[in-house]
Amino acid sequence: MIELKGLYKRYHNHLHNEWVLKDINLTIPQGVSVGLVGPNGAGKSTLLRLIGGMDSPERGAVIRRCRVSWPIGLTGGFKGSMTGRQNVQFVARVHGGGVQGVKRVIDFVEGFAEIGPAFDRPVQTYSSGMRSRLAFGLSLAFDFDVYLSDEATSVGDRAFKAKAKQAFRDRVGKASLIMVSHGEAILRDMCQAGIFLHQGRAQWFDEIDDAIAAYHETSGMPDSAPLRQARTATWEARKELRAVKAAHAEAQAAGADQAHLDTLMASMTHKRQLLRQRKAELAAVKEQADDDD
Amino acid sequence: MPDIDTTNGARTPWQVTRSVWFAMFMRETVSRTMADRFAWFWMIFEPIAFVGIFIAIRSMIRGDRFVIGADFIPWLIVGLMGFFLFREGMNRPVGAVEANQGLFAYRQVLPVDTVLVRIALEGLLRTFVFLIFIAGGLMLGFDLFADLPMFAMWAWLSLWALGAGVGLAVSAAAALVPEIGRVVRMLSLPLMLLSGVIIPMGMKPYHIQQLMLYNPIAHALEFLRLGFFENYKAVQGISLLYVWLFALSLIALGLILHLRFTEELKAK
Repeated sequence: MIELKGLYKRYHNHLHNEWVLKDINLTIPQGVSVGLVGPNGAGKSTLLRLIGGMDSPERGAVIRRCRVSWPIGLTGGFKGSMTGRQNVQFVARVHGGGVQGVKRVIDFVEGFAEIGPAFDRPVQTYSSGMRSRLAFGLSLAFDFDVYLSDEATSVGDRAFKAKAKQAFRDRVGKASLIMVSHGEAILRDMCQAGIFLHQGRAQWFDEIDDAIAAYHETSGMPDSAPLRQARTATWEARKELRAVKAAHAEAQAAGADQAHLDTLMASMTHKRQLLRQRKAELAAVKEQADDDD
Repeated sequence: MPDIDTTNGARTPWQVTRSVWFAMFMRETVSRTMADRFAWFWMIFEPIAFVGIFIAIRSMIRGDRFVIGADFIPWLIVGLMGFFLFREGMNRPVGAVEANQGLFAYRQVLPVDTVLVRIALEGLLRTFVFLIFIAGGLMLGFDLFADLPMFAMWAWLSLWALGAGVGLAVSAAAALVPEIGRVVRMLSLPLMLLSGVIIPMGMKPYHIQQLMLYNPIAHALEFLRLGFFENYKAVQGISLLYVWLFALSLIALGLILHLRFTEELKAK
């Protein structure tokens, strides 16, 4: 559980001294993943930094009653002249756990990042993709209760993206997520609740959809009823497809007979077609600027 | 202050600090001694170069008669090493906060940790280099053996503390006002002249000596030399109490600055 009590935050600047965040009072319950939405400059990243303890508020307090991560995918802490292994070792040591704990973390990151021998080369020789793989693996190596994410899941190539998403989903039971993203699809996918930030104020929504709807409304582009309907339908279709896929994988793993697998496969094809249809419908009603895929 | 519930595996602040210091220390050690191929070379070569140059100059003006009770070369080496210990303690922390900016994303790491770790590491490295010089000097037949080892070690520690105090205070100030860092770096050469590293203070007129004695580094250096050369005739009026008053007040001031401006230092 994370409690935010009367948070005020501003950045000192020669030109203006406005509050970025004004009187934020929220309680983020344990195990609920939250998406932060709002226009650019609304203070989403600032709020995330405050929650993560990277910054402190002018007034008020953040009370963390659980282990909170640093923002996932953070590469700023890497020292270029040191190898990936040494960098990981440093972070593991900071977080304690003794020799065994440090070794466990290093092994995990080495396995997860899949960058091969580059793990023992200086980080400055890495491509940005390799860097984010390392950073992402590092975040997941610790058992945090709450992970913070600032537009982080959009790194790496396709295979790694899928792996990262999967790793997130696997953690959802144990850990929750607080994420800032403009990708509304991923917010809907990963989060249950939402916080909408507007003019320094924060509003809590139990459903992420409502938060996104509120955001759209204040930005002067409210969602039309058919758009909302089409979107819900697309989501239903996607969920069904995912369920069938999971069932198929399970059946395959369990060694079910061929007939059963074929039925599942057929149903999967059907669902996929359905999803494609829904997507087409959604594309027909939505405007070009919308970014839910 | 965060609520600390130690029953669910959360660490106490002291445990966190200890792991941060350990991690930082290992990291700095690696990057300071391994990352740069010339790091070790410079650490040893710089004092050698200084000693060489000054010996060349001094032998031309026959100045080696002016040090009473000690040979000139060992006297110079001890003074230079002592001054370098102070100088590194003063200069190294200045960049520490800036260089480790990225690390403050891990909220366990505070700006003051980076500074303290650098001070400790520089002190150890300088001590190690000094030991190498003593060993090398003894093998070459110089009288570099400390006549009063405990006394010399205490003076060495005083210089370290003095450098640490200046380093702590200046690192916080320099992170807030970048110009201070530049001024401090420029100061190191004048300070060397003012501390009696090259030219013995005893050679100067009395009223200049009195002025130079406002400088605590000069006090500590004279004591360090007394520790090495029993018969050395140090300047009148030196006091280790004066050095420690300076060192402790500066350390306190530095810690206060770091405590007060933690957020500003992090957020830069």
